[in-house]
Amino acid sequence: MNDGRDPFLPGASSPIARLVEAFHRLPGIGPKSAQRLAYHILRAQEAEAQELADALVEVKRSIVFCAQCQNLTSRTPCEICTDASRDRHLICVVEEPLDVLAIERTNGFRGLYHVLHGVISPSDGVGPEDLKIAELLARLRDVETEVAEIIVATNPNLEGEATAMYLGRLLRPLGIRVTRLARGLPAGADLEYADDVTLGRALEFRQEVT
Amino acid sequence: MPGRIPRVTHTAAIVLRYRRLGEADRIITLLTPTRGKIDVIAKGVLRSKSRMGGHLEPLTLVEVVLAHGRTMDVVTQAQTIEAFPDVHANLDRLSAAMYLLELADRITIEHADAEGLHDLLHTALVRLARGDGQQVVQRTFELALLEATGFRPELTTCLRCSEPVAAEEAWWAPVEGGVLCASCARTDGGAQPIDATALRVLRAFQSQPYEDAGRIRLSDELAARMEQAMHALMRAVVERDLKSAQFVSAARRARVAGEGLDEAELAKDDE
Ligand SMILES: [Zn+2]
Repeated sequence: MNDGRDPFLPGASSPIARLVEAFHRLPGIGPKSAQRLAYHILRAQEAEAQELADALVEVKRSIVFCAQCQNLTSRTPCEICTDASRDRHLICVVEEPLDVLAIERTNGFRGLYHVLHGVISPSDGVGPEDLKIAELLARLRDVETEVAEIIVATNPNLEGEATAMYLGRLLRPLGIRVTRLARGLPAGADLEYADDVTLGRALEFRQEVT
Repeated sequence: MPGRIPRVTHTAAIVLRYRRLGEADRIITLLTPTRGKIDVIAKGVLRSKSRMGGHLEPLTLVEVVLAHGRTMDVVTQAQTIEAFPDVHANLDRLSAAMYLLELADRITIEHADAEGLHDLLHTALVRLARGDGQQVVQRTFELALLEATGFRPELTTCLRCSEPVAAEEAWWAPVEGGVLCASCARTDGGAQPIDATALRVLRAFQSQPYEDAGRIRLSDELAARMEQAMHALMRAVVERDLKSAQFVSAARRARVAGEGLDEAELAKDDE
Protein backbone atom coordinates (compact mmCIF):
# COMPACT_ATOMS: atom_id res chain seq x y z
CA MET A 1 0.00 0.00 0.00
CA ASN A 2 3.04 2.24 -0.29
CA ASP A 3 2.85 2.83 -3.98
CA GLY A 4 1.71 6.35 -3.15
CA ARG A 5 -1.86 5.75 -4.25
CA ASP A 6 -4.86 6.20 -2.03
CA PRO A 7 -5.93 2.63 -1.12
CA PHE A 8 -9.56 3.79 -1.00
CA LEU A 9 -9.49 5.32 -4.43
CA PRO A 10 -11.71 3.40 -6.87
CA GLY A 11 -9.61 2.05 -9.71
CA ALA A 12 -6.56 1.41 -7.55
CA SER A 13 -5.78 -2.30 -7.62
CA SER A 14 -5.67 -3.07 -3.88
CA PRO A 15 -8.15 -5.52 -2.24
CA ILE A 16 -9.63 -2.58 -0.32
CA ALA A 17 -10.25 -0.65 -3.54
CA ARG A 18 -11.90 -3.76 -4.96
CA LEU A 19 -14.24 -3.93 -1.98
CA VAL A 20 -15.00 -0.19 -2.12
CA GLU A 21 -15.83 -0.52 -5.78
CA ALA A 22 -18.06 -3.55 -5.15
CA PHE A 23 -20.04 -1.58 -2.55
CA HIS A 24 -20.16 1.46 -4.83
CA ARG A 25 -21.89 -0.59 -7.51
CA LEU A 26 -24.83 -1.28 -5.14
CA PRO A 27 -27.91 0.91 -5.63
CA GLY A 28 -28.02 4.03 -3.47
CA ILE A 29 -24.38 3.68 -2.31
CA GLY A 30 -22.22 6.68 -3.13
CA PRO A 31 -18.40 6.70 -2.98
CA LYS A 32 -18.39 8.01 0.62
CA SER A 33 -20.79 5.32 1.89
CA ALA A 34 -18.82 2.66 0.00
CA GLN A 35 -15.65 3.73 1.80
CA ARG A 36 -17.43 3.71 5.18
CA LEU A 37 -18.78 0.18 4.58
CA ALA A 38 -15.39 -1.10 3.46
CA TYR A 39 -13.73 0.44 6.50
CA HIS A 40 -16.34 -1.20 8.74
CA ILE A 41 -15.56 -4.61 7.24
CA LEU A 42 -11.84 -4.02 7.72
CA ARG A 43 -12.31 -3.39 11.42
CA ALA A 44 -14.86 -6.18 11.95
CA GLN A 45 -14.13 -9.71 13.23
CA GLU A 46 -13.26 -12.18 10.50
CA ALA A 47 -16.39 -14.19 11.43
CA GLU A 48 -18.60 -11.20 10.59
CA ALA A 49 -16.97 -10.78 7.20
CA GLN A 50 -17.29 -14.52 6.54
CA GLU A 51 -20.98 -14.42 7.51
CA LEU A 52 -21.61 -11.61 4.99
CA ALA A 53 -19.67 -13.38 2.25
CA ASP A 54 -21.54 -16.67 2.90
CA ALA A 55 -24.92 -14.91 2.88
CA LEU A 56 -24.12 -13.27 -0.46
CA VAL A 57 -23.06 -16.52 -2.11
CA GLU A 58 -25.94 -18.49 -0.53
CA VAL A 59 -28.59 -16.10 -1.81
CA LYS A 60 -27.23 -16.31 -5.34
CA ARG A 61 -27.10 -20.12 -5.16
CA SER A 62 -30.47 -20.86 -3.61
CA ILE A 63 -32.79 -18.16 -4.96
CA VAL A 64 -34.39 -18.83 -8.34
CA PHE A 65 -37.17 -17.37 -10.46
CA CYS A 66 -40.56 -18.99 -9.88
CA ALA A 67 -41.40 -20.75 -13.15
CA GLN A 68 -44.93 -19.31 -13.01
CA CYS A 69 -44.93 -15.84 -11.48
CA GLN A 70 -41.19 -15.09 -12.03
CA ASN A 71 -40.88 -13.87 -8.44
CA LEU A 72 -37.67 -14.66 -6.57
CA THR A 73 -38.10 -17.77 -4.46
CA SER A 74 -36.19 -20.63 -2.88
CA ARG A 75 -38.46 -23.19 -4.55
CA THR A 76 -40.44 -23.18 -7.78
CA PRO A 77 -43.39 -22.89 -8.14
CA CYS A 78 -43.32 -20.51 -5.21
CA GLU A 79 -45.44 -20.49 -2.05
CA ILE A 80 -47.99 -18.05 -3.44
CA CYS A 81 -48.39 -19.88 -6.76
CA THR A 82 -48.97 -23.20 -4.96
CA ASP A 83 -51.32 -21.78 -2.29
CA ALA A 84 -54.67 -23.48 -3.02
CA SER A 85 -56.61 -20.78 -1.18
CA ARG A 86 -55.60 -18.02 -3.62
CA ASP A 87 -57.90 -16.77 -6.39
CA ARG A 88 -56.63 -18.12 -9.74
CA HIS A 89 -58.85 -15.81 -11.77
CA LEU A 90 -56.74 -12.77 -10.91
CA ILE A 91 -53.13 -11.92 -11.69
CA CYS A 92 -51.56 -8.74 -10.39
CA VAL A 93 -48.64 -7.66 -12.60
CA VAL A 94 -45.86 -5.77 -10.78
CA GLU A 95 -42.48 -4.32 -11.72
CA GLU A 96 -40.32 -5.74 -8.91
CA PRO A 97 -40.35 -8.50 -6.25
CA LEU A 98 -40.54 -5.80 -3.56
CA ASP A 99 -43.89 -4.69 -5.02
CA VAL A 100 -45.29 -8.18 -4.24
CA LEU A 101 -44.33 -7.68 -0.60
CA ALA A 102 -45.94 -4.23 -0.57
CA ILE A 103 -49.25 -5.56 -1.94
CA GLU A 104 -49.15 -8.62 0.37
CA ARG A 105 -48.80 -6.27 3.35
CA THR A 106 -52.17 -4.68 2.49
CA ASN A 107 -53.92 -8.08 2.99
CA GLY A 108 -56.30 -6.80 0.33
CA PHE A 109 -55.34 -9.05 -2.56
CA ARG A 110 -55.85 -12.81 -2.70
CA GLY A 111 -54.99 -13.47 -6.35
CA LEU A 112 -51.71 -14.45 -7.99
CA TYR A 113 -48.81 -12.31 -9.16
CA HIS A 114 -46.55 -11.84 -12.13
CA VAL A 115 -43.23 -10.01 -11.71
CA LEU A 116 -41.93 -8.25 -14.83
CA HIS A 117 -38.49 -7.49 -13.33
CA GLY A 118 -38.46 -3.96 -14.68
CA VAL A 119 -40.51 -1.56 -16.70
CA ILE A 120 -40.40 -0.35 -20.32
CA SER A 121 -37.87 2.48 -20.10
CA PRO A 122 -36.19 3.34 -23.41
CA SER A 123 -33.94 5.97 -21.83
CA ASP A 124 -32.46 3.21 -19.64
CA GLY A 125 -32.23 0.85 -22.60
CA VAL A 126 -35.10 -1.39 -21.44
CA GLY A 127 -37.68 -2.55 -23.99
CA PRO A 128 -40.60 -5.03 -23.71
CA GLU A 129 -38.31 -7.88 -24.79
CA ASP A 130 -36.15 -7.30 -21.69
CA LEU A 131 -39.07 -7.96 -19.33
CA LYS A 132 -40.86 -11.18 -18.33
CA ILE A 133 -43.73 -10.44 -20.75
CA ALA A 134 -43.29 -13.54 -22.90
CA GLU A 135 -43.58 -15.60 -19.68
CA LEU A 136 -46.85 -13.81 -18.83
CA LEU A 137 -48.26 -14.48 -22.30
CA ALA A 138 -47.27 -18.14 -22.00
CA ARG A 139 -49.12 -18.35 -18.66
CA LEU A 140 -52.25 -16.82 -20.18
CA ARG A 141 -52.17 -18.95 -23.32
CA ASP A 142 -51.95 -22.12 -21.24
CA VAL A 143 -55.10 -24.15 -22.02
CA GLU A 144 -55.67 -24.72 -18.32
CA THR A 145 -55.52 -21.05 -17.40
CA GLU A 146 -58.43 -19.75 -15.32
CA VAL A 147 -57.27 -16.13 -15.47
CA ALA A 148 -60.07 -13.68 -16.20
CA GLU A 149 -58.48 -10.40 -15.13
CA ILE A 150 -55.02 -8.86 -15.11
CA ILE A 151 -54.45 -5.99 -12.71
CA VAL A 152 -51.48 -3.95 -13.90
CA ALA A 153 -49.84 -2.45 -10.82
CA THR A 154 -46.90 -0.66 -12.43
CA ASN A 155 -45.77 2.65 -10.94
CA PRO A 156 -47.80 5.76 -11.84
CA ASN A 157 -45.13 7.37 -14.03
CA LEU A 158 -44.34 7.55 -17.75
CA GLU A 159 -42.63 4.15 -17.88
CA GLY A 160 -45.24 2.42 -15.74
CA GLU A 161 -48.00 3.90 -17.85
CA ALA A 162 -46.39 2.87 -21.14
CA THR A 163 -45.88 -0.66 -19.79
CA ALA A 164 -49.50 -0.91 -18.62
CA MET A 165 -50.89 0.32 -21.94
CA TYR A 166 -48.61 -2.00 -23.91
CA LEU A 167 -49.75 -4.99 -21.81
CA GLY A 168 -53.35 -3.91 -22.34
CA ARG A 169 -52.83 -3.92 -26.07
CA LEU A 170 -51.14 -7.37 -26.03
CA LEU A 171 -53.67 -9.03 -23.72
CA ARG A 172 -56.96 -7.58 -24.99
CA PRO A 173 -57.05 -9.95 -28.01
CA LEU A 174 -56.80 -12.89 -25.56
CA GLY A 175 -60.20 -11.91 -24.17
CA ILE A 176 -58.82 -11.09 -20.74
CA ARG A 177 -59.97 -8.04 -18.78
CA VAL A 178 -57.04 -5.69 -18.14
CA THR A 179 -57.31 -3.13 -15.34
CA ARG A 180 -54.91 -0.66 -13.71
CA LEU A 181 -54.53 0.58 -10.18
CA ALA A 182 -56.49 3.79 -9.57
CA ARG A 183 -54.35 6.89 -9.45
CA GLY A 184 -54.97 9.68 -7.03
CA LEU A 185 -53.53 11.82 -4.32
CA PRO A 186 -51.15 10.11 -1.90
CA ALA A 187 -52.08 10.15 1.79
CA GLY A 188 -50.83 13.33 3.41
CA ALA A 189 -50.68 15.21 0.10
CA ASP A 190 -51.56 18.87 -0.24
CA LEU A 191 -53.94 19.82 -3.08
CA GLU A 192 -52.14 23.10 -3.61
CA TYR A 193 -48.93 21.34 -4.57
CA ALA A 194 -50.37 18.38 -6.49
CA ASP A 195 -49.28 18.16 -10.12
CA ASP A 196 -51.92 18.49 -12.83
CA VAL A 197 -51.89 14.85 -13.92
CA THR A 198 -52.33 13.50 -10.38
CA LEU A 199 -55.04 16.01 -9.55
CA GLY A 200 -56.78 15.35 -12.87
CA ARG A 201 -56.78 11.58 -12.26
CA ALA A 202 -57.95 12.04 -8.67
CA LEU A 203 -60.95 13.98 -10.04
CA GLU A 204 -61.59 11.47 -12.80
CA PHE A 205 -61.57 8.48 -10.42
CA ARG A 206 -63.49 10.22 -7.63
CA GLN A 207 -65.65 8.05 -5.39
CA GLU A 208 -69.08 8.26 -3.85
CA VAL A 209 -69.00 9.55 -0.26
CA THR A 210 -70.70 6.86 1.76
CA MET B 1 -26.28 36.04 7.83
CA PRO B 2 -23.30 36.84 5.63
CA GLY B 3 -22.47 34.64 2.67
CA ARG B 4 -23.03 34.32 -1.01
CA ILE B 5 -26.58 34.68 -2.22
CA PRO B 6 -27.10 31.92 -4.78
CA ARG B 7 -27.82 33.06 -8.29
CA VAL B 8 -31.35 32.10 -9.19
CA THR B 9 -32.86 31.69 -12.65
CA HIS B 10 -36.37 31.03 -13.89
CA THR B 11 -36.87 29.03 -17.05
CA ALA B 12 -39.40 26.98 -18.94
CA ALA B 13 -38.18 23.46 -19.79
CA ILE B 14 -39.31 20.12 -21.12
CA VAL B 15 -38.35 17.22 -18.82
CA LEU B 16 -36.51 14.65 -20.99
CA ARG B 17 -35.60 12.03 -18.38
CA TYR B 18 -34.26 11.50 -14.88
CA ARG B 19 -32.01 9.20 -12.98
CA ARG B 20 -31.86 8.43 -9.30
CA LEU B 21 -29.32 10.10 -7.07
CA GLY B 22 -28.96 8.57 -3.62
CA GLU B 23 -32.01 7.77 -1.50
CA ALA B 24 -34.50 10.49 -2.42
CA ASP B 25 -32.92 12.80 -5.01
CA ARG B 26 -32.94 12.79 -8.78
CA ILE B 27 -30.84 14.23 -11.56
CA ILE B 28 -33.31 15.66 -14.06
CA THR B 29 -32.39 16.29 -17.71
CA LEU B 30 -34.16 19.39 -19.00
CA LEU B 31 -34.39 20.88 -22.49
CA THR B 32 -34.59 24.65 -22.05
CA PRO B 33 -35.24 27.37 -24.65
CA THR B 34 -32.07 29.38 -23.93
CA ARG B 35 -29.56 27.05 -22.25
CA GLY B 36 -30.18 23.92 -24.31
CA LYS B 37 -29.98 20.59 -22.50
CA ILE B 38 -29.00 20.78 -18.82
CA ASP B 39 -28.83 18.36 -15.91
CA VAL B 40 -30.20 19.67 -12.63
CA ILE B 41 -30.60 18.17 -9.16
CA ALA B 42 -34.06 17.81 -7.60
CA LYS B 43 -33.76 17.09 -3.90
CA GLY B 44 -36.19 14.90 -2.00
CA VAL B 45 -38.48 14.24 -5.00
CA LEU B 46 -38.72 10.54 -4.21
CA ARG B 47 -40.36 11.30 -0.85
CA SER B 48 -44.13 11.03 -1.06
CA LYS B 49 -44.61 14.48 0.47
CA SER B 50 -42.40 16.21 -2.09
CA ARG B 51 -44.06 19.26 -3.58
CA MET B 52 -42.04 19.01 -6.80
CA GLY B 53 -42.04 15.29 -7.59
CA GLY B 54 -45.04 15.03 -9.88
CA HIS B 55 -44.09 18.20 -11.73
CA LEU B 56 -40.73 16.82 -12.83
CA GLU B 57 -41.89 13.72 -14.73
CA PRO B 58 -40.59 13.22 -18.29
CA LEU B 59 -42.92 14.51 -21.00
CA THR B 60 -43.92 17.58 -18.99
CA LEU B 61 -43.45 21.24 -19.86
CA VAL B 62 -42.52 22.93 -16.60
CA GLU B 63 -41.55 26.29 -15.19
CA VAL B 64 -38.61 25.81 -12.84
CA VAL B 65 -36.62 27.98 -10.49
CA LEU B 66 -32.97 26.96 -10.44
CA ALA B 67 -30.39 27.87 -7.82
CA HIS B 68 -26.86 27.98 -9.12
CA GLY B 69 -24.91 25.04 -7.73
CA ARG B 70 -21.25 24.08 -7.75
CA THR B 71 -21.48 21.33 -10.34
CA MET B 72 -25.18 21.34 -11.21
CA ASP B 73 -28.05 23.73 -10.65
CA VAL B 74 -30.60 22.74 -8.03
CA VAL B 75 -34.36 22.91 -8.63
CA THR B 76 -35.99 24.95 -5.87
CA GLN B 77 -39.48 25.22 -7.39
CA ALA B 78 -41.30 23.42 -10.20
CA GLN B 79 -44.74 24.03 -11.65
CA THR B 80 -46.37 22.14 -14.53
CA ILE B 81 -47.32 24.29 -17.51
CA GLU B 82 -48.48 21.44 -19.76
CA ALA B 83 -48.65 17.72 -18.93
CA PHE B 84 -49.97 16.54 -22.35
CA PRO B 85 -52.77 14.32 -20.98
CA ASP B 86 -53.98 13.61 -24.52
CA VAL B 87 -50.57 12.11 -25.35
CA HIS B 88 -50.77 9.87 -22.28
CA ALA B 89 -54.23 8.68 -23.30
CA ASN B 90 -53.06 6.64 -26.31
CA LEU B 91 -50.15 4.19 -26.58
CA ASP B 92 -49.21 5.19 -30.15
CA ARG B 93 -48.97 8.84 -29.16
CA LEU B 94 -47.22 8.00 -25.90
CA SER B 95 -44.59 5.77 -27.52
CA ALA B 96 -44.05 8.38 -30.26
CA ALA B 97 -43.54 11.05 -27.58
CA MET B 98 -41.02 8.82 -25.75
CA TYR B 99 -39.16 8.49 -29.05
CA LEU B 100 -39.12 12.27 -29.60
CA LEU B 101 -37.78 12.77 -26.07
CA GLU B 102 -35.04 10.18 -26.53
CA LEU B 103 -34.04 11.70 -29.89
CA ALA B 104 -33.86 15.21 -28.43
CA ASP B 105 -31.79 13.84 -25.56
CA ARG B 106 -29.36 11.73 -27.59
CA ILE B 107 -28.72 14.21 -30.37
CA THR B 108 -27.82 17.15 -28.12
CA ILE B 109 -24.71 17.61 -26.04
CA GLU B 110 -25.12 19.19 -22.64
CA HIS B 111 -24.98 22.99 -22.63
CA ALA B 112 -24.27 22.94 -26.37
CA ASP B 113 -25.99 25.59 -28.40
CA ALA B 114 -29.30 23.95 -29.16
CA GLU B 115 -31.33 26.94 -30.07
CA GLY B 116 -34.74 26.10 -31.42
CA LEU B 117 -34.70 22.46 -30.26
CA HIS B 118 -36.93 23.19 -27.29
CA ASP B 119 -39.48 24.82 -29.60
CA LEU B 120 -39.21 21.99 -32.14
CA LEU B 121 -39.90 19.40 -29.45
CA HIS B 122 -42.68 21.43 -27.89
CA THR B 123 -44.40 21.92 -31.25
CA ALA B 124 -44.16 18.19 -32.04
CA LEU B 125 -45.64 17.25 -28.64
CA VAL B 126 -48.52 19.71 -29.13
CA ARG B 127 -49.20 18.14 -32.55
CA LEU B 128 -49.23 14.63 -31.05
CA ALA B 129 -51.56 15.81 -28.29
CA ARG B 130 -54.10 17.30 -30.69
CA GLY B 131 -54.23 14.06 -32.68
CA ASP B 132 -52.17 14.84 -35.80
CA GLY B 133 -50.92 11.76 -37.66
CA GLN B 134 -48.15 10.21 -35.55
CA GLN B 135 -46.12 9.27 -38.62
CA VAL B 136 -46.16 12.81 -39.96
CA VAL B 137 -45.27 14.28 -36.56
CA GLN B 138 -42.37 11.86 -36.00
CA ARG B 139 -40.90 12.05 -39.51
CA THR B 140 -41.12 15.86 -39.73
CA PHE B 141 -39.59 16.14 -36.24
CA GLU B 142 -36.69 13.87 -37.24
CA LEU B 143 -36.05 15.89 -40.39
CA ALA B 144 -36.26 19.25 -38.56
CA LEU B 145 -34.02 17.97 -35.76
CA LEU B 146 -31.41 16.74 -38.26
CA GLU B 147 -31.57 20.07 -40.08
CA ALA B 148 -31.16 22.06 -36.83
CA THR B 149 -28.16 20.01 -35.68
CA GLY B 150 -26.32 20.05 -38.99
CA PHE B 151 -27.22 16.53 -40.13
CA ARG B 152 -29.67 17.43 -42.93
CA PRO B 153 -30.11 14.19 -44.89
CA GLU B 154 -29.56 14.28 -48.65
CA LEU B 155 -32.67 12.83 -50.30
CA THR B 156 -32.40 13.97 -53.94
CA THR B 157 -28.80 13.73 -55.17
CA CYS B 158 -26.33 10.88 -54.80
CA LEU B 159 -23.99 11.40 -51.84
CA ARG B 160 -21.09 9.90 -53.82
CA CYS B 161 -21.36 11.22 -57.38
CA SER B 162 -23.69 14.19 -56.76
CA GLU B 163 -25.94 13.20 -59.68
CA PRO B 164 -29.71 13.61 -59.20
CA VAL B 165 -31.31 10.29 -58.20
CA ALA B 166 -34.78 9.19 -59.34
CA ALA B 167 -36.84 7.81 -56.45
CA GLU B 168 -37.20 4.47 -58.30
CA GLU B 169 -33.43 4.03 -58.53
CA ALA B 170 -32.43 5.32 -55.12
CA TRP B 171 -30.64 3.33 -52.45
CA TRP B 172 -30.79 4.24 -48.76
CA ALA B 173 -27.41 4.76 -47.06
CA PRO B 174 -28.03 5.66 -43.38
CA VAL B 175 -24.36 5.94 -42.41
CA GLU B 176 -23.64 8.37 -45.28
CA GLY B 177 -26.82 10.27 -44.41
CA GLY B 178 -29.14 9.91 -47.39
CA VAL B 179 -29.45 8.39 -50.86
CA LEU B 180 -27.02 6.87 -53.34
CA CYS B 181 -27.59 6.19 -57.02
CA ALA B 182 -27.74 2.53 -58.05
CA SER B 183 -24.22 2.45 -59.48
CA CYS B 184 -22.57 4.08 -56.44
CA ALA B 185 -24.64 1.84 -54.10
CA ARG B 186 -23.03 -1.26 -55.68
CA THR B 187 -19.76 -0.41 -53.94
CA ASP B 188 -21.42 0.45 -50.61
CA GLY B 189 -22.04 -2.50 -48.29
CA GLY B 190 -24.41 -0.55 -45.99
CA ALA B 191 -26.85 0.73 -48.62
CA GLN B 192 -30.34 -0.80 -48.89
CA PRO B 193 -32.99 -0.38 -51.57
CA ILE B 194 -35.68 2.09 -50.48
CA ASP B 195 -39.33 2.06 -51.52
CA ALA B 196 -39.83 4.81 -54.15
CA THR B 197 -43.09 6.09 -52.64
CA ALA B 198 -41.58 6.18 -49.15
CA LEU B 199 -38.68 8.28 -50.46
CA ARG B 200 -41.03 10.62 -52.38
CA VAL B 201 -43.06 11.27 -49.24
CA LEU B 202 -39.90 11.87 -47.19
CA ARG B 203 -38.78 14.39 -49.86
CA ALA B 204 -42.14 16.13 -49.57
CA PHE B 205 -41.84 16.19 -45.76
CA GLN B 206 -38.38 17.74 -46.07
CA SER B 207 -39.32 20.42 -48.61
CA GLN B 208 -42.94 21.33 -47.85
CA PRO B 209 -44.50 23.21 -44.94
CA TYR B 210 -45.89 20.95 -42.20
CA GLU B 211 -49.49 21.83 -43.03
CA ASP B 212 -49.07 20.49 -46.60
CA ALA B 213 -47.10 17.44 -45.50
CA GLY B 214 -49.87 16.59 -43.04
CA ARG B 215 -52.38 16.19 -45.88
CA ILE B 216 -50.50 13.26 -47.43
CA ARG B 217 -52.38 10.00 -46.73
CA LEU B 218 -50.20 7.13 -45.57
CA SER B 219 -51.12 3.47 -45.55
CA ASP B 220 -49.86 1.39 -42.58
CA GLU B 221 -47.46 -0.36 -44.93
CA LEU B 222 -45.99 2.85 -46.38
CA ALA B 223 -45.72 4.37 -42.91
CA ALA B 224 -43.82 1.29 -41.71
CA ARG B 225 -41.34 1.59 -44.63
CA MET B 226 -40.71 5.28 -43.93
CA GLU B 227 -40.33 4.52 -40.25
CA GLN B 228 -37.80 1.78 -40.95
CA ALA B 229 -35.69 4.06 -43.18
CA MET B 230 -35.74 7.00 -40.77
CA HIS B 231 -35.06 4.85 -37.70
CA ALA B 232 -31.96 3.46 -39.46
CA LEU B 233 -30.85 7.02 -40.27
CA MET B 234 -31.38 8.27 -36.69
CA ARG B 235 -29.51 5.24 -35.32
CA ALA B 236 -26.57 6.11 -37.56
CA VAL B 237 -26.60 9.76 -36.46
CA VAL B 238 -26.74 9.11 -32.70
CA GLU B 239 -24.47 6.08 -33.14
CA ARG B 240 -26.51 3.80 -30.91
CA ASP B 241 -29.70 1.76 -30.81
CA LEU B 242 -32.79 3.77 -29.95
CA LYS B 243 -34.89 1.61 -27.63
CA SER B 244 -37.80 4.02 -27.94
CA ALA B 245 -37.81 3.60 -31.73
CA GLN B 246 -38.10 -0.16 -31.24
CA PHE B 247 -40.91 0.43 -28.75
CA VAL B 248 -42.84 2.60 -31.24
CA SER B 249 -42.67 -0.29 -33.73
CA ALA B 250 -43.56 -2.90 -31.08
CA ALA B 251 -46.59 -0.87 -29.97
CA ARG B 252 -47.78 -0.54 -33.57
CA ARG B 253 -47.28 -4.25 -34.26
CA ALA B 254 -49.32 -5.08 -31.16
CA ARG B 255 -52.11 -2.78 -32.38
CA VAL B 256 -52.11 -4.24 -35.89
CA ALA B 257 -52.11 -7.78 -34.44
CA GLY B 258 -55.09 -6.89 -32.23
CA GLU B 259 -56.97 -5.27 -35.10
CA GLY B 260 -56.20 -8.21 -37.36
CA LEU B 261 -57.76 -10.50 -34.80
CA ASP B 262 -60.81 -8.26 -34.48
CA GLU B 263 -61.25 -8.36 -38.24
CA ALA B 264 -60.90 -12.16 -38.26
CA GLU B 265 -63.56 -12.33 -35.53
CA LEU B 266 -65.85 -10.04 -37.52
CA ALA B 267 -65.33 -12.12 -40.65
CA LYS B 268 -66.33 -15.22 -38.69
CA ASP B 269 -69.47 -13.48 -37.46
CA ASP B 270 -70.41 -12.61 -41.05
CA GLU B 271 -70.49 -16.21 -42.14
ZN1 LIG C 1 -44.77 -18.06 -8.18
